[in-house]
Amino acid sequence: MRLLDDPAGYWADLTTAEKGVLAVSLAFAAFLFVALLTGRLGASYFMFLVGLAGMYGLLSFGLNAQWGFTGLINFSVAAFFGVGAYGTALMTADSSPVAGGFSPVAGLATALVVALVLALLIGIPTLRLRADYLAIASLGLAEVVRLVVLNERQWTNGSAGLRGIPGFFDGWPVLGTFPEAMPGLRIEVIPGSPVLLETPFWQSALNVLLVVTFAAVAYLVLRRAHRSPWGRVLRTIRSDEDLARALGKNTYSFKMQSFVLGSLIMALAGVFYAHLNLYVGPGDLDPITTFYVWVAVILGGSGSNRGALFGGIVVVAIREGTRFMGDLPIAVDAAPLRLLLIGLLIVVVMRFRPQGILPPQRELIWPSAVEDERAPQRPESGVRERKDGDSDE
Amino acid sequence: MSENPELLPKEDVVLRVDDLQKAFGGLQATDHATFEVERGTITGLIGPNGAGKSTIFNLISGFYEPDGGTVTVGETDVTGMEPYQVAERGLIRTFQTPRKLEGMTVREAMLVGPRNQPGESFLSLFTSPGSVGEAESKNLADAQRILEEFEIDHLATQPATDISGGQMKLVELARAMLAEPEILLLDEPVAGVNPTLAKKLEEQIRRLNEQGTTFLLIEHDMEFVMNLADPVIVLDQGHVLTEGSPEEVRNDERVIEAYLGGGA
Ligand SMILES: Nc1ncnc2c1ncn2[C@@H]1O[C@H](COP(=O)(O)OP(=O)(O)OP(=O)(O)O)[C@@H](O)[C@H]1O
Ligand SMILES: [Mg+2]
Repeated sequence: MRLLDDPAGYWADLTTAEKGVLAVSLAFAAFLFVALLTGRLGASYFMFLVGLAGMYGLLSFGLNAQWGFTGLINFSVAAFFGVGAYGTALMTADSSPVAGGFSPVAGLATALVVALVLALLIGIPTLRLRADYLAIASLGLAEVVRLVVLNERQWTNGSAGLRGIPGFFDGWPVLGTFPEAMPGLRIEVIPGSPVLLETPFWQSALNVLLVVTFAAVAYLVLRRAHRSPWGRVLRTIRSDEDLARALGKNTYSFKMQSFVLGSLIMALAGVFYAHLNLYVGPGDLDPITTFYVWVAVILGGSGSNRGALFGGIVVVAIREGTRFMGDLPIAVDAAPLRLLLIGLLIVVVMRFRPQGILPPQRELIWPSAVEDERAPQRPESGVRERKDGDSDE
Repeated sequence: MSENPELLPKEDVVLRVDDLQKAFGGLQATDHATFEVERGTITGLIGPNGAGKSTIFNLISGFYEPDGGTVTVGETDVTGMEPYQVAERGLIRTFQTPRKLEGMTVREAMLVGPRNQPGESFLSLFTSPGSVGEAESKNLADAQRILEEFEIDHLATQPATDISGGQMKLVELARAMLAEPEILLLDEPVAGVNPTLAKKLEEQIRRLNEQGTTFLLIEHDMEFVMNLADPVIVLDQGHVLTEGSPEEVRNDERVIEAYLGGGA
């Protein structure tokens, strides 16, 4: 790995924005670490935060695959998230009025299938039309899904929600009983420090493992797709759909693939959430999630997977960080302050860096082809990198 | 078509437009237009502003649905097909206003050109990354070669949005060539292009034509058309006024009148 072999060179190759993000991230990590060691931040709460960040990362990945890659305007992020959460909850929860008691893997599969069906349902009529139709239809869809969940009590328990959702790993060979089987696993991080890693910590560590797995898979898939000819067609559609059509690309099919892919990733976030929270209710379909995720993607830099992840983390940091505002001697309520902060942040970013903090990659060509090309001679001229020194993934 | 000159029987027709009609509200933009493009030719399509030239391109390439008439590419009736399906039959078109791809370098924008790339299938990216890579290497080399032939290889890693209008026209032609068309429709390839660059484009079109590509081109620059095209089709108010060699067209009374009359 480049980072380990040649850290100085790695640093020098980064763009200004990348350096900034890296520095801020390291500082933030150090801050959290100190908070952890001094016991100001509970270890299992910390793990919960990591899980939440992963969840927002996933949602942002999903929206990025739609809006960032292809320019599809989807205002029903919360609906796909909710469908993922309810999909698995209805299969696995004790209180499920439909099925219940199935393994979370079956829940995962169900959630993905339902999200797929929903994506096709809204994609088929709108993706042949111009971009605005999907935007309008998706606004409607979000509300329809929310109202169905709220009102169709015989299927969803309505406003009572679904309780008794098992953890994702319940019933798995080793992972299922891992925390409880090890009551002795009680680690004092530093002798004398108040930090104890006990059963709740290990339980949340499992959740983090789950979300990190989901996010890593999504990231690797998206990264490869983004650099491929497939991703290039999507980027062409985003910029000029007619050009793509004139060059023989079936743009309807490409838009559908991008929409479905993004929707499935959002549903994945919902599945994770259901097994993290062990309860889902209609409140989880609140449109505010859609807003947060749009902020994350635009903030991070539309089209960039790393940007989406970064934006997701920033949104979680603000969302959760403002909870502690109550400790400060200012007479402001946390909830409006949170929205104010996010609004302010997005205005500042749009004003000074409209492309987002970490906009996409220098040049997106299938990596092996670029290596092949460089092999004979041709040093990379990289005009674009030099131009403003800080465009890129 | 009484007003048409008798069409000479042609040997090998790549594109046939038969009695094509299209109205926008009360405006008959394409009025029973009929013509053929013979394989291996550079056919010119001229006419005053608003004569309906671009509309015919849109009808041929599937962007507009005709009210009547048919379009045939090779042996296939493509009337009513989607643009991508028409392109799959080997008919590629460019647009009158240059299309810029944001966030791409020139060579990335070039790489959108090749048709049916293995890497355009999402599944192949994971099931057969090797063949995706091979095709990408080949396409990248092809793109580089064409950029060199067009003498714009120094632009390869520039942002596609940061090049001049004339250079953009060259890139568009170069990209269209990567799609390996049977027939290439160019809508005003030298509009706004300086004379030196226009000369370069002219040479490239002639060279590509010698290598086997058929061209149908719209152009207002008479010198450019008359140098390059044979035959030339003249369109006026949506119908074919006349068709012939550059000489014949230049001396045709009706053509002069159509231009002087401003097409109204
Ligand atoms: N999409 C459209 N909707 C309505 N009217 C249209 C449309 N496209 C073209 N027209 C009209 O059809 C007529 C022919 O237009 P077209 O663009 O084909 O002309 P043209 O020969 O390409 O002209 P120019 O040389 O100026 O490019 C014009 O009167 C134009 O206003
Ligand atoms: Mg025109």
